Amino acid sequence: MDINFTQEDLQFRDEIRDWLANGGYPTHVKHKTDNGIALTKQDMTDFHKAVSAKGWMGYNWPKEHGGTGWSATQLYIFNKEFGLGGCPPLLAFGVSMVAPVIYTFGNDEQKKRFLPDILEFNTWWCQGYSEPGSGSDLASLKTKAVREGDHYIINGSKTWTTLAQNADWIFVLVRTETTKIKQEGISFILVDMKTPGIEVKPIITIDGDHEVNSVFFTDVKVPAENLVGEEGKGWTYAKFLLAHERFGIAAIGTSMRQLKRLKNIVSELDNPEMEKKVAELEISVSALEMTELRLLSALENGGHPGAESSILKIKGTEIQQTLTELFVEAAGEYALMYPGPHGFESNSKPEGPDFVAQSISAFLNMRKVSIYGGSNEIQKNIISKFVLGV
Amino acid sequence: MNLNYSEEQVMLKEQIQKFCETEYDFYKREDVVKSDNDFDSKVWSLFAEQGWLSMPFSEESGGFGFGPIELSILFEEFGKALVIEPYLSSVVLSGNILDNSSFADKNNIIESICSGSMHVSLAYAESTNKYDYTNPLTSLSADSKLNGTKALVLNGANASKFIVSCNSGDDLALVIVDSNADGVSVTSFPTVDGQTCSEVSFENVLVSDTNIIASGSEANDLLLRAINLATLCVSAEAVGCMTSCYLKTVEYTKSREQFDQPISNFQVLQHRMVDMFIESELCKSLLIKAMLEVDTNSEDMFKHVSALKAQIGKSGKFSAQQAVQLHGGMGVSDELMIGHYLKKMLTIDALFGNSDFHVKSFSV
Repeated sequence: MDINFTQEDLQFRDEIRDWLANGGYPTHVKHKTDNGIALTKQDMTDFHKAVSAKGWMGYNWPKEHGGTGWSATQLYIFNKEFGLGGCPPLLAFGVSMVAPVIYTFGNDEQKKRFLPDILEFNTWWCQGYSEPGSGSDLASLKTKAVREGDHYIINGSKTWTTLAQNADWIFVLVRTETTKIKQEGISFILVDMKTPGIEVKPIITIDGDHEVNSVFFTDVKVPAENLVGEEGKGWTYAKFLLAHERFGIAAIGTSMRQLKRLKNIVSELDNPEMEKKVAELEISVSALEMTELRLLSALENGGHPGAESSILKIKGTEIQQTLTELFVEAAGEYALMYPGPHGFESNSKPEGPDFVAQSISAFLNMRKVSIYGGSNEIQKNIISKFVLGV
Repeated sequence: MNLNYSEEQVMLKEQIQKFCETEYDFYKREDVVKSDNDFDSKVWSLFAEQGWLSMPFSEESGGFGFGPIELSILFEEFGKALVIEPYLSSVVLSGNILDNSSFADKNNIIESICSGSMHVSLAYAESTNKYDYTNPLTSLSADSKLNGTKALVLNGANASKFIVSCNSGDDLALVIVDSNADGVSVTSFPTVDGQTCSEVSFENVLVSDTNIIASGSEANDLLLRAINLATLCVSAEAVGCMTSCYLKTVEYTKSREQFDQPISNFQVLQHRMVDMFIESELCKSLLIKAMLEVDTNSEDMFKHVSALKAQIGKSGKFSAQQAVQLHGGMGVSDELMIGHYLKKMLTIDALFGNSDFHVKSFSV
């Protein structure tokens, strides 16, 4: 056994650190994330454009499609270092969700049309999966697409659509046929958000923020050429895509960075109970990190870790949530105040620790992580079925 | 032994329940929270008309002389309906101190509180995380000048008067100050649960001897008892929230269908809801124990309120978090009540000492 990364991997890590520390990560965005200030659409675009300019946008793509062709280890290091460096999460919808479906199942025309803009972050994508009646049971989706000549006519609605308000395109799962087996008859279609008949309505979450939306489709006319792969095979592509979504789900770098912040705060409190909780959390983070490395090692050495990766989703999100809880606890009775997701106005900040607003906002916002991307209950079902075999 | 409410208490509970269920609409509440008003003044007047604002005051002060049991009943129902009206600050915290004090002008002020025409806020906290309220830095000088800053003054924006804890010489003192007096400045902030609290600064505010409510051990006693009673009240509120959390979650999982069946069919969710129910029952048990101890003014009453608050901190957050989790995306939507119970629980845990603090207090 050898727990060390190779010399090449360490050089790769240093290259990323150097980029993050020396002006690659746009300073105005870094300033905001360091201080818990919400990012605007422009900030997000600037950050992604910077990553793209460095040639890292296709971080999980093969070289033939313009990606980095990185190994699983390099991908792990990239993700961890970005987390440790306090970067906002890279938006997955374009680069790591729809793009792999397009370059794996799409035609040449689609690859030419969509992939370059995704690599350069010229287009924002959003994900049309969940529906009001279809969450955990995604395959029961009802949004319908009917073929009429050269077009599909889409009717129905999608929900919890993250950042649809910023999106230029949406990839939707639609029902093109009513079949006995619900997984059949689903198709994967790309839709321009400017198409008439699409309406985006904000859903405000308990942190007071507007991150998710309902998207309504009324007689939306989409060219048939926007169908990806074969009609009726959408479920296969959807599952393929969800496997790619696992990338970085443990959020180990981000959690380590937050843990360090928390330790600094708690060290000032003279509070042994809090110190104990932080130590326990640090042990959990260590266990998770090592679990991810074991899966990585298996992958690099010819293994095929499958459903075990659900551990990363479950424990990773639990740690993320516990971190936010401990920040709130560290704020003591000041955790009473909450000005909303954009923080206190700079000219009227109350006394008390400066991390209060950010902590409450994060606590409330992070409730979603154990719900989305396959709820943690669903993840446990997956482990039970595919790993334990029960 | 009989752990049931008396007939009068049952009637009171039904009266409050009826109001909360039929008149206290969540969407109206949300409109108020999002408006410039801190609460609904019509609701406050209604509380006054029903006599609820007079409830805990002694009969000599013009109240009904109801005790901690009735207050717990009221707050449990407030918790279920997520009531935002500032009962805790004026009636419980300030009211309890005034009622038990020998302050000369107390009857006039209590009368104004009961009629709903005046809010009085207790300024007990300062910028410390330690929940030790009996050693304030705010000071009253020998020449009667009050100086210092109080944090997290509940409903401070609407208070006509503040009761301020301060040090006077080596003693703790409680003084009462008009909010529009020279040298008083108030800055208000929203709380997580849709209410407001203020930072109140006092700069050379002149306090006449007649406005000293109490000092020394009497002040200490008045302050600790009022905070103990308020701790009981917010714990009762949390029990109400927990009850609603499991009831609403059971109702939701029975109606939400996935995989061609109600999700309540899944055993993992059933057990989770059973856990929520059990936690809520255990808290209710500790609530009953604590309110009876406070009712008889027992020596151990502080200890039992600590036991209750310690448990609430853990079980309350557990229940509300599970309620959110089992509601899925709907749980984090601002439109549904369920996420707001979690916010209420955050507020309650932050008030008057969190779980760790009360575990320690209990063990001392």
